[in-house]
Amino acid sequence: MAEDIQHNQKSNFNGLTKPAKAGASKKLIIKNFKDRPKLTDSYTEDTWLKLRDAVGAIQNSTSIQYNLEELYQAVENLCSYKVSPMLYKQLRQVCEDHVRAQIHQFREESLDSLSFLKRMNRCWQDHCRQTIMIRSIFLFLDRTYVLQNSLLPSIWDTGLELFRAHIVSDSGVQSRTVEGILEQIERERNGETVDRSLLRSLLGMLSDLQVYKDSFEQRFLTETTRLYAAEGQRLMQDRDVPEYLHHVARRLEEENDRVISYLDQSTQKPLIAAVEKQLLGEHMTAILQKGLRTLLDESRECELTLLYELFNKVKGGLTALLQSWREYIKSSGGEIVSSPEKDKEMVQELLDFKDKMDLVSQRCFQRNDTFINAMKEAFENFINKRPNKPAELIAKYVDSKLRAGNKEATEEELERILDKIMIIFRFIHGKDVFEAFYKKDLAKRLLVGKSASVDAEKSMLSKLKHECGAAFTSKLEGMFKDMELSKDVMIQFKQYMQNQTDPSNIELTVNILTMGYWPSYIPMDVHLPAEMVKLQEVFKLFYLGKHSGRKLQWQPTLGHAVLKTEFKEGKKELQVSLFQTLVLLIFNEADECSVEEIRTATGIEDGELKRTLQSLACGKARVLNKTPRGKEVEDADRFHFNSDFRHKLFRIKINQIQMKETVEEQVSTTERVFQDRQYQIDAAVVRIMKMRKTLSHNLLVSELYNQLKFPVKPADLKKRIESLIDRDYMERDKENANQYHYVA
Amino acid sequence: MPVKKKRKSSGSEDPSIRKCKITSYCRTQTPGRMVNPEDQFSNKKCLAWFYEYAGSDDIVGPESMEKFCEDIGVEPENIVMLVLAWKLEATNMGFFTKEEWLKGMTSLHCDCTERLQGRLDYLRSQLNDPVIFKSIYRYAFDFARDKDQRSLDMDTAKSMLALILGRTWPLFPVFHQFLEQSKYKVMNKDQWYNVLEFSRTVNTDLSNYDEDGAWPVMLDEFVEWHKARNIAL
Repeated sequence: MAEDIQHNQKSNFNGLTKPAKAGASKKLIIKNFKDRPKLTDSYTEDTWLKLRDAVGAIQNSTSIQYNLEELYQAVENLCSYKVSPMLYKQLRQVCEDHVRAQIHQFREESLDSLSFLKRMNRCWQDHCRQTIMIRSIFLFLDRTYVLQNSLLPSIWDTGLELFRAHIVSDSGVQSRTVEGILEQIERERNGETVDRSLLRSLLGMLSDLQVYKDSFEQRFLTETTRLYAAEGQRLMQDRDVPEYLHHVARRLEEENDRVISYLDQSTQKPLIAAVEKQLLGEHMTAILQKGLRTLLDESRECELTLLYELFNKVKGGLTALLQSWREYIKSSGGEIVSSPEKDKEMVQELLDFKDKMDLVSQRCFQRNDTFINAMKEAFENFINKRPNKPAELIAKYVDSKLRAGNKEATEEELERILDKIMIIFRFIHGKDVFEAFYKKDLAKRLLVGKSASVDAEKSMLSKLKHECGAAFTSKLEGMFKDMELSKDVMIQFKQYMQNQTDPSNIELTVNILTMGYWPSYIPMDVHLPAEMVKLQEVFKLFYLGKHSGRKLQWQPTLGHAVLKTEFKEGKKELQVSLFQTLVLLIFNEADECSVEEIRTATGIEDGELKRTLQSLACGKARVLNKTPRGKEVEDADRFHFNSDFRHKLFRIKINQIQMKETVEEQVSTTERVFQDRQYQIDAAVVRIMKMRKTLSHNLLVSELYNQLKFPVKPADLKKRIESLIDRDYMERDKENANQYHYVA
Repeated sequence: MPVKKKRKSSGSEDPSIRKCKITSYCRTQTPGRMVNPEDQFSNKKCLAWFYEYAGSDDIVGPESMEKFCEDIGVEPENIVMLVLAWKLEATNMGFFTKEEWLKGMTSLHCDCTERLQGRLDYLRSQLNDPVIFKSIYRYAFDFARDKDQRSLDMDTAKSMLALILGRTWPLFPVFHQFLEQSKYKVMNKDQWYNVLEFSRTVNTDLSNYDEDGAWPVMLDEFVEWHKARNIAL
């Protein structure tokens, strides 16, 4: 209905204005209005009284005597007769009087805060409802007069303005309202249920009245900060870190929910920021110090994920977490690496530790690259804290996995273990130590025939080649080649033997090892039985006949043999080392021997001999008896053949002793590495100096660090430089001691 | 140890008399030399002078060297003897060959004991020139070295250092102590050369020592040792 009236009015206007603009195609005839009907003088007065009554009725929530259409029409009429300004003024006055009167109900001191809030809410709701109603009646005024006049607020805005000016701007009322709201929020934070719709309505009011930011938000944020500052302090003391983290997460969720339910959207950012700052930002160091170690130690993925997510929100959080994570790996890893009494488990522990840290970075730290890189860096750092030993132990660990009799792993598992080992290996600086021990162990596996699988060996070799380049593995590959060539040679040798007139009753297998490829073995002179010596000569003749100019050197330490033996129980075959063979063969002639007699007969060096005797008389398979009994072999001990020996197997291996690493071996391998390093330093210095001719000390040292692939101390470099000066490979500048010259 | 060997018979009876001799001689000699110095040097006289000390093998050996020192009034372990040896370009400590003698003494214009005595102050003054001092210092290494060895054995090195640097380098007593307790058996040329550089450039409190510099490890160790000892004290 209102629409219709408006439409009519508009068409009137159109009638007036359109012809002036158009006038092209259609002709319109414009006629003047008839004279306006005059109003009675009292009309304005009467109509206003009518309207005022209606407004009064709305404000007092009583029924209106006139129907609304009539009132609307009245407003329209008044407006048509240019009394809009007065009408607006009068209306405003009436509203103002009413709103002003409302303040009294809030003056009551006795009211408790909740009732106060409720009253305020009711008052506000009433005010809104009334204003809408009034605006509907005065819509014509609003549209035609107020909106045209940019200086005047619309009826609705006037209502808000009045409410703000007379109710909410009253400092007492405002502070009671805000206090009340804050109190309700605090209650809710403390776990009580509160009337959320009431809060939403009141906060909406503050927002509508545009006092939300100034009167409420600031106080609210201060309160929040205060509350959570205290809570953060308290809970950090009382609770352990995982609990605390869960609490923080819950708090953040609650506050977000609060924003959605009744706070203004604009508060979300500062609110969440305040909570995060107070509960997390302020306690970052404490949380990390107090809790990270335990969380990581116990691999508590859920809490670690939470920790990461929470710290991600705080400024500088991830940096702090990253730092602590790096420290943790360094110290925990350092513990694994740097306790010699735990060397046996070191590599396994390293692998487990790496797995654990990988898991954390994958699952909890969202595969963050900086975290993964920090982990790598930390690993490299701690693993090299203790020089050489980790490399040695990694090599031995690989040996233990590649050795025959290792039934714990299938091919695929073995492959996976080797891959993991390579990751650890990558961190090692002194790879030459690894190479030396790996080579020593590989040699034993190949020569004693204890390698678990050729495929696994080859796979490991290709991994090393991939990692360190062909130069690193060329000798190792040479070892494999030697083994293959030896097989061919042995086939030819067998044919050769068949054509011999004097066939031997011993079968001989020889592996021909190229010097340089293999670890160097100290040649040991032992007394071989005549048959063996003869066979050696035959082979020598055969081999040198094919390859003249070569030199053969026999390595008795590496030899092994199968002996046929008759015990009371029956025939057995003993798989033994060459040294063991020599000892056992003595008992073909003698029943009982002293250590001294055996030593004279075999020529085996003392330490080696005792180890050999121990393996035969004190090990699992005791083919010799020792008097007196005991675990250790003493000089005065006597041995005799144990013909009562029993064993469930036909062929018995007693040569594990050959696979064992002796202390001397370990020491000499390490020493050889160090010796090699000296040569490498010397070579690098000379190479650099030859190219540069003249170089300052510092440049030479930094160039050396670029070229050398193993860790070395500056003092070590200096010693080598001095040694080269002493040997006239280079000289110091006569005037400037910091400058070196190459001496051609 | 040659230095000590010569010391045993060096009579310390009357250094004052000797000094008198030198000074008085200098006074009378100076004007004479100024009149006609060239005339007064004679190769023949110089050679004869040489044979006063040298035996049939044309060399002044340790025994005659002591006599020679006594005659010119200088203890064998006096630093001026090192300067003289340097001037003569003598290759072996305790020996002067004929060539060294003739060449060196000619350049000094000395053909008799008195003349040489007159030149001793000049020889001493050579030590004050840093460049010459350095060359004398470097010469001392080869001079004192056992010619079968590349390096100086530590006792000789210590005595030579005491002779050359003992009075001028405040840290010498400490360095000497360091050498006493160190495991070094010999001192090589590079180390020897650098000790002089060290004594010249490094402050007594070691404050300007650069650990990352090119100093031989021996000096690094000395500095470390000295600092550790200072902390301990």
